[in-house]
Amino acid sequence: MIDRIEFLWPEIALFVTTCVVMVLGLSRRIESRRMTALVTGLGLIIAGVLAARTTPIPGPRSGQVLLPELIPYAKVLIASVGSLLLLLQAGTVDRAEEAAIAAGQRPYDPLRTNRAEYYAFFLFSLTGLMLCASADDLIWLFLALELTSLPTYIMVAMSTGRARSREAGVKYFFLGALGAAVFLYGFALIYGGTGSTNLNAIHAHLAAHGLNLTALAGFILAFLGLCFKIAAVPMHFYAADVYQGAAPQVSAFLAFVPKAAGFISILLLTATIGWSYAADAQGPLYTPITQSAYDALEGAVSMGLPEPIRVFLWVIAALTMTVGNVLAILQKSVKRILAYSSIAHSGYMLVAVLAGPNNGTFSQSGLAAVLFYLLVYGVGNLGAFAVLACLEGRPDADGEPAEIEDVDDIRGLWKTRPLLAWVMTLSCLGLMGLPPLLGFFGKLPLFTSGLAAGEIVLVVILGLNSAVAAYYYLRLIKASLIDPPSDADLPATPTPFATRTLAGVLSAAGVVVLAFVGGGLMDRSERAARYTSMMAVAPPPPPRKTPYVPGDDTPFPLPIPIGAR
Amino acid sequence: MMLASLIIVPLAFALFIAVGPERSAARVSLVGMLATLGLSILAAFAFDWGFGGQFQFGMSVDWLPGLGLTLSLGVDSVALMLVLLTAVLGPVCVLASWTAITERVKTYYAWMMVLQAAMIGVFAARDLVFFYICFEFTLIPMFLLIALYGSTNRMRAATKFFLFTFTGSVVALAGLLYVAWHHAQTRGVWTFEIDALELAARTLPPHVQALILGALLLGFAVKVPLFPLHTWLPLAHTEAPTAGSVILAGVLLKLGTYAIYRFVLPFAPEAVIEYAYPLAVLCTIGIIYGGLVCWVQTDVKKLVAYSSVAHLGFCMLGMFALNHAGVTGSVLYMLNHGLSTGALFLLIGMMYERYHTRSMKEIGGLGARMPVWSTFLVFFVMASVGLPGLNGFVGEFLCLMGAFQASDAWGAGLWGTTPGDSTVGGTRGSLGPWVAAVAGTGMIIAAIYLLYMVGKVVFGTLREPPGHASHADHHAGDAHRAAGLPVDLTRREIGALAPIAALCVFLGVYPKPVLDAVQAPVERTVTTIAEARGKPKFRPPVELAPPAEHAAEGAHP
Amino acid sequence: MHPGPLAASDLASYLPVGLILLMAVGFAAANIFLSRIIGPSRPGGVVKGQTYESGMNPVGTARKRFNVRFYLIAMVFLVFDVEIVFLYPWAATFPNLSPGTDEGLVWLGRIFFFLFTTVVAYLYGFRKGVFKFD
Repeated sequence: MIDRIEFLWPEIALFVTTCVVMVLGLSRRIESRRMTALVTGLGLIIAGVLAARTTPIPGPRSGQVLLPELIPYAKVLIASVGSLLLLLQAGTVDRAEEAAIAAGQRPYDPLRTNRAEYYAFFLFSLTGLMLCASADDLIWLFLALELTSLPTYIMVAMSTGRARSREAGVKYFFLGALGAAVFLYGFALIYGGTGSTNLNAIHAHLAAHGLNLTALAGFILAFLGLCFKIAAVPMHFYAADVYQGAAPQVSAFLAFVPKAAGFISILLLTATIGWSYAADAQGPLYTPITQSAYDALEGAVSMGLPEPIRVFLWVIAALTMTVGNVLAILQKSVKRILAYSSIAHSGYMLVAVLAGPNNGTFSQSGLAAVLFYLLVYGVGNLGAFAVLACLEGRPDADGEPAEIEDVDDIRGLWKTRPLLAWVMTLSCLGLMGLPPLLGFFGKLPLFTSGLAAGEIVLVVILGLNSAVAAYYYLRLIKASLIDPPSDADLPATPTPFATRTLAGVLSAAGVVVLAFVGGGLMDRSERAARYTSMMAVAPPPPPRKTPYVPGDDTPFPLPIPIGAR
Repeated sequence: MMLASLIIVPLAFALFIAVGPERSAARVSLVGMLATLGLSILAAFAFDWGFGGQFQFGMSVDWLPGLGLTLSLGVDSVALMLVLLTAVLGPVCVLASWTAITERVKTYYAWMMVLQAAMIGVFAARDLVFFYICFEFTLIPMFLLIALYGSTNRMRAATKFFLFTFTGSVVALAGLLYVAWHHAQTRGVWTFEIDALELAARTLPPHVQALILGALLLGFAVKVPLFPLHTWLPLAHTEAPTAGSVILAGVLLKLGTYAIYRFVLPFAPEAVIEYAYPLAVLCTIGIIYGGLVCWVQTDVKKLVAYSSVAHLGFCMLGMFALNHAGVTGSVLYMLNHGLSTGALFLLIGMMYERYHTRSMKEIGGLGARMPVWSTFLVFFVMASVGLPGLNGFVGEFLCLMGAFQASDAWGAGLWGTTPGDSTVGGTRGSLGPWVAAVAGTGMIIAAIYLLYMVGKVVFGTLREPPGHASHADHHAGDAHRAAGLPVDLTRREIGALAPIAALCVFLGVYPKPVLDAVQAPVERTVTTIAEARGKPKFRPPVELAPPAEHAAEGAHP
Repeated sequence: MHPGPLAASDLASYLPVGLILLMAVGFAAANIFLSRIIGPSRPGGVVKGQTYESGMNPVGTARKRFNVRFYLIAMVFLVFDVEIVFLYPWAATFPNLSPGTDEGLVWLGRIFFFLFTTVVAYLYGFRKGVFKFD
């Protein structure tokens, strides 16, 4: 146990920053209070650097051994997207209060300000997310997931002064508790079925004895509970209401942080189960294929998750994509559109989870595809929410500025705020997956890994859903880039926080630039997805051969048929 | 580098326009288009036409090696000619927009340049994903051109255009990726190089090829458009600005036919042979149906738009004849249709700019008012109808001839011919004289509707919209003055039309250089098809080989 | 433990519990008794005769609003409470943590880190004004 600490320095750095922020944010001097966000950013950067310097040592020292190189990638990703999210959070809390203090209307009262708590919660949630990536134990994983989620409930409630936010916070809290209960129950059953809470030990148990019914039920319940975190059907109902109720910058946070936590957990759990079960296996006990049996078959065998889990995730993926996209079409509020689109994106990623590691190359590994898509989605989504966060309506009686909500509210941005119009357009095109933007290169491995795993029907559903999604993204593009400015009496004005615009511009630039120089990131995600298992895994790819050229008359080997699915 | 510069130069000019001032946008854009044209003419001179079947100017740069994605370029003679077509239409489109575009000028011309780059990229790509990227990326500029600068119903048209083509091409992507995955599985290399994938795809069993055919056609036939998938086209054409229509008809539709020529025929030859007849029937329905719909149009632009459906039907019919005459005709038709229909859209745009109407009910007898314009209109209508001596004829004739010849019945002694007699020119295939005959009536219908249109618009008594009749002698209505246009064509407009007209005459009178040039690549395609015919139709289904055997074959080297 | 009926040794193992019980009862009884004898007796009014319950009226409806300060105090109390809960087992097992190595300092460092977080919590409470009773 004593050695684990070296993998936890990023979390420790974040935690220490949280401690500083909690005290600093309550300072009597406005200059010190202003430093809060800066210190938060500094902490994130330090955590990111520490994470990048972590050298994963395969073996029990680094915790879970199934995805030994996940930690640095995941944590650097969290720190980077977290920094972008931080830029977006400027002025979320205490805006009116600080204005009143500056105007001398009332003295500083620490009980009335929320700045310290807000940034502390922000950091706590990110710490929890990083801890998810470090988890090697179900209890650890549970605590990390809760640490990720609990602060977000409060962040939602305190993000605006409106009753709607309070309602969203409470709704999110109760449903979150329900989700947590479900996956905790699942974890308990997994423990009951395998006799351990340690992921490595569970994996070893499954490799030796197969997956029994208790553990199977446990895993299915765990996935069901985690569906809440990733906002997948059937636990998606909260998403639209909560995203709508929260301030846009908090919605951006919700759309990335709990989702990343959910997907990292799902990856860890599926890696624990392993993708080495015969495709058509039946029965109460699912036994994985051993490496020697696999070698004897020369790979001519189709493997995957145990059939019930595969079917379960298949149905969830298909439903999530379809429900998310169809409901997004029907929405009028930008935030709800983005909420449902974020549901759909979860469905896309589940396809790759289902595909598994295959032979580990970037184009065929579903794990790499998920890890890369988390980045793609995080960046694209942040840009779209940033546009909303950069705009506000006229203040109401309480001095609370109206929110930019409807698609009509962002009409004519090209004339009033051309920069934001372009951020919106690029983000939407990126999320749509239009080449040559980053979204396309995120989606391509989802397609190829799905095909490589033989999930052809699911891949076609994924393709059609991408096309459906184009419709509502086009509506957003149309409103911001094409329509004339709206002449309603509530014109959108920019919020006075330059860093929010900066966050939007950075993410929009990322959508474009990373598409051309993202090769290194792809390699990183491929490394992060390196999967070691005690069960059979497809052999690593052979050294790069020249592709078929005319005149090369070595015959094609017989194609291996797609798995009997 | 030649091809890369053809893509980079328009992009660079797009950037210049985006950062430059509004008023010089059109001029910069014209310079950019002319530079691209110059480069492509240089490329045409540098190209070794003797080896037109081989891909020249090849270059390859790793882009995202993790995905197996390279930026690889290369053109054979067919691709190069389509690049030339694109390059020729570029400056024409800029000239056509000179006075028509008055708002958000920078945006317009910048996207036009981007569109140009993307279209050239499609023709020059030798990497599947790079092809797909360019293919898809034409959507955004076109979407914006229609949505921002179109007429009243533009948003609906643009959305419909985008969704139709995007949906189709996503499914096509799944098909293309399936082939890539198949290649990766059999060769152990993940690559998107088209040559390699072609060879891999042909090893697929026929029923899988049929699925690939379905997926690819769903994507590319929308773009062509083939009969039941054509509904976006008339709307998009009618609503698009003139230059948008010209590009749409001239080049964007060719992306579909080119993709079918480049991917569907070589990737799924056995399936194409199998399904050639139903596909040809769809083409024929498109020809007849498109023609009949044209007949009842009153909107001139809509008429020309529907005529595209009919014309592309001919083009696809020739393609699915799968013999030398048919495929040659089809390739030729791509060029010809781009020129003549593009020019017709230009002319209609010029008329619209002057009269702000496209309805045949409101205008007529313009021959008296605009003689130069009328001359051009009659000329391009003739080219479009397929008057011998003009370009339309050669392609259309070859397409029909291909369909006529392509029947196994010739070998079985159709119409008293001796089996095996080569003088009738019969080839293997499932189309035959009847398909050609039915499609041939489409030519007559085309003549009817186009000449009917000419009769209404050019000849007869002069009819002008109400606003113009009052000061008909004054030579300039309010609209004219606003746009600064005289009644008849300006030198700029003639400058846009004249080169196209010259090309039409050249291709009509002396098509031999073009026919010679496409000889080799067409031969390659036809050989592929012939090889596929030689394969036994029912191969034993591929089964899991027993382990030992598999080890010997090294499925996973 | 041997099987069979309730053995004397079984009962003997409950002896400490019984002793503690006895002590508790004895302490309470002794206190009441001692305060009777030694304590000064100043009979007062009605209020003084009431049961003491944190300064609140013991009789009446239970559904009433507490002063928010009660919660603050309770939470601050929790900080120290939890700290003690952790410190005791730590102190009890400290000698057994990696005995024979010099990692004892590391463990000491860790508990100090834990104490540091408590200090931060205290500091936070202080700055938030929890301890101000005005």
